Amino acid sequence: MHPRLRKALTSIFSDGFLIIYFMFALFPILWMILVSLKSGTELFTTQFVFTPTLENYQAILFGDPRAAAGVVARVDFPRNFLNSLIVSSGAVVISLAVGVPAAYALARYNFKGKETLAFTFLSFRFAPELVVIIPLSLIYRQLGLYDTYFGIIWVYQLVTLPLLIWVLRSYFEDISPDIEQAAMIDGYPWYQIFMRILLPLVRPGLAAAALLAFVFAWNNFIFPLVLGASTVQTVTVSALGYISSAQAFFNRMAAAAVIASVPQMMLALSIQRYLIRGLSFGAVKG
Amino acid sequence: MAEVRLDHIHKTYKGGVKAVVDLNLIINDGEFLALLGPSGCGKTSTLRMIVGLEEITSGDLFIGNRRMNDLEPSERNAALAFETYALYPPLTVHDNIAFCLRARQVPQAEIRRRVHEVAEMLEITDILGRKPAELGGGQKQRISLARALVREPDVFLMDEPLSHLDAALRAHMRVELKRLQARTGRTTVLVTHDQLEAVAMAERVAVMNFGVLQQVGTFDEIYNHPANEFVAGFIGEPPMNFLDCEPASQNGETSLRASDGSFSVKLPGELRSKLDKQTVSKLRLGIRPIDVIASHQASGNGVVEIAGQVYTYESLGEEGQLAAHVGGSEVLVVTSPDVAFERSQPVWLQLRTHRIHLFHGDTGAAL
Repeated sequence: MHPRLRKALTSIFSDGFLIIYFMFALFPILWMILVSLKSGTELFTTQFVFTPTLENYQAILFGDPRAAAGVVARVDFPRNFLNSLIVSSGAVVISLAVGVPAAYALARYNFKGKETLAFTFLSFRFAPELVVIIPLSLIYRQLGLYDTYFGIIWVYQLVTLPLLIWVLRSYFEDISPDIEQAAMIDGYPWYQIFMRILLPLVRPGLAAAALLAFVFAWNNFIFPLVLGASTVQTVTVSALGYISSAQAFFNRMAAAAVIASVPQMMLALSIQRYLIRGLSFGAVKG
Repeated sequence: MAEVRLDHIHKTYKGGVKAVVDLNLIINDGEFLALLGPSGCGKTSTLRMIVGLEEITSGDLFIGNRRMNDLEPSERNAALAFETYALYPPLTVHDNIAFCLRARQVPQAEIRRRVHEVAEMLEITDILGRKPAELGGGQKQRISLARALVREPDVFLMDEPLSHLDAALRAHMRVELKRLQARTGRTTVLVTHDQLEAVAMAERVAVMNFGVLQQVGTFDEIYNHPANEFVAGFIGEPPMNFLDCEPASQNGETSLRASDGSFSVKLPGELRSKLDKQTVSKLRLGIRPIDVIASHQASGNGVVEIAGQVYTYESLGEEGQLAAHVGGSEVLVVTSPDVAFERSQPVWLQLRTHRIHLFHGDTGAAL
C-alpha cells in the first residue's frame, strides 16, 4: 500500500474511533440535559422532539410546589450545593496543605519506612469504602464528628490525599536537588525556594491532581450518606430525595445533576492547559 | 578573593562510609586548582564541604581567615557551578543570573549592570530573555558560570563543568574557562575525573583516591615525580606499565630483576643510589608506554633489552599501540608509525632507563 494512503487510512480509523468514543462518553450527558428539560409527562418517552421546560430548574432552585404540598420530600438543593462546595474544597485544601509537604518528603528524603508509609497512603484507595464505613460511622458517633463539616472533610482525606501525594511525589522526584541547592547557595530560605522555584515546576501536576481530588470528593456518595445527615447533606446524597415511594422525579434529578456538574466542568476548563500535561506526565512517570 | 585552607578535614557519611580522610590542602589566593580523581574518590564531597552543602565531620575549613564550618552556604561567598547546571527552569536567563543578587537586595540598576557585564564576558547577552529549556548544553553551561560569577565570589567552584558537553565544545570551553579565570583572578577549584581538563586549565592538580589526597603539585611534578603507584597509573595516557621486580646485585652494582626471572635491567646511577639507601625486597618498576622502544630485532649494541611477544598491535595513524607479553606481565608500548607488528611475533623492548619509576612493592609509595 502506498504510504500516503496508509497514513490517510490510519488517520480516518483513529478519528472514527475517537468520534465513536466521544459519542459514547458524551451521550449520557446529553441525555441528562434533555431529561432535565422535560416535563413529568414526557419523562419516559424517548422522543428527542418535545417542548422544553425550565420547570425542573425552577423547582430545585426556588422550591417545589409539590414538596410544599407534601407530595415529595423537601430537597433544599441550593443548600446542599453549598455543602458539597464546602466539604469538597475543604478536603482539597487540607489535602494540599498536608499532601504537598508529604510528597516532597517522600521524594527527597530517605527515612526508615519511607516506602511503607507511601504505600499506606496509597492503600487508602484499595479498600472499598463500604468496608470501612460501619466502623467509621461508629467512631464518628463516639467522637461527635457525625454530621459535621469537619467530619466529612476529614473522611474525604481518604479519597483526596493519596492521589495528591502520589502524583506530586513523582513531580518532585523529577526536579534535580541541585536546583534547590543552587538556590540555597544563592541565599534563599527554604520557603522562598519552594515558592519561587519548586512550585512553578510542579504546578501542572498540582493543578491536575487537585482537580481530580476535587472531582472525586464532589462525586463521593457513600461517606456523606452514612456519616452525614441533615446538616451536611451533599448534592449526591440529596439526589435520592427526588425518588419517593410513589414516583421517581428523574427530571428533577437530572436538573440537579446538570447544575452539580457545573463547578467541575468550569474547573476542568479553566486549568485545561495543565490538565493533559499534568496527568499524562504523572501517569507515565508514576 | 581569598585563600582556602582545609585543615585535617574528614567526611564520614551516615552508615560509616569515609568519603574524605584527613585532607590538608591550601588553595592559594587567586589560584586555579583541580581536584582530580576517579569517581568516588571524595573530590565532589570536598567541593560540597567547601561550599557548605555537606557538613564537615571533623577538621576546619577556612576561606580567607574566617572559619566556615558552621556558616550557611549563602554566608560563605563561595559560588558553585553544578555539573547538571541546575538552572532555575521557571526563570529567564537574566533572572537566573540575577537570582542571587535579588536575595541580597542589590539595587535594581546595579543588578542590571552586573548581569550585563557578566553576560558580555560569557557572550550570552543575546539569550538573556530566553528560558533555560530552550537552550543547548553549551549555553546552559555559560549561564551556570555567569550565575556563579555575577556575585563576585571569594571562591569559585566548578563540579565537572564540561562533562555534559560534546568533544568540540569541551575543548573550546577549556580554553575559555582558563581565560575567564585568568581574567577574574578568582580562587578557583575545579573538580574533574578527566586529567586532560585538569592539565589544560589548572595551575596545580590535587590527585585524590579513596578519600585520601595522594599528591598536590603542578602537572609536571605529578607526571614526572608521582608520589605513588596510584598517581603514576592514573596520570598519563595510555597508563604506565608496572612490573614486579626485586633488587639484585650484578658485578657489585645494584640492578633490577623481574620477579618471574623474565628480564633484568641495569639502573642509572640516581635510581641506584636511591635503591641502595633502602632495604626493600619487593619493588614495582613503572615505565610509561612512550618510554619503551619496541623493535623486531635485538639491537646488539650492549643496551639491555627485554624479550617479549606481541599480544596485540593497533596502528593509530600517528602512532601505534603495542601490547607485549613479558613473562607473566603485559607491557604497553607506544610505537612509531613506521614499524608494524604482527600478533605472536617476538619483540624486543628497550626501556629508557632514566625514565624508570620505582615503587615499594607493598605500600606503592615512590622510592
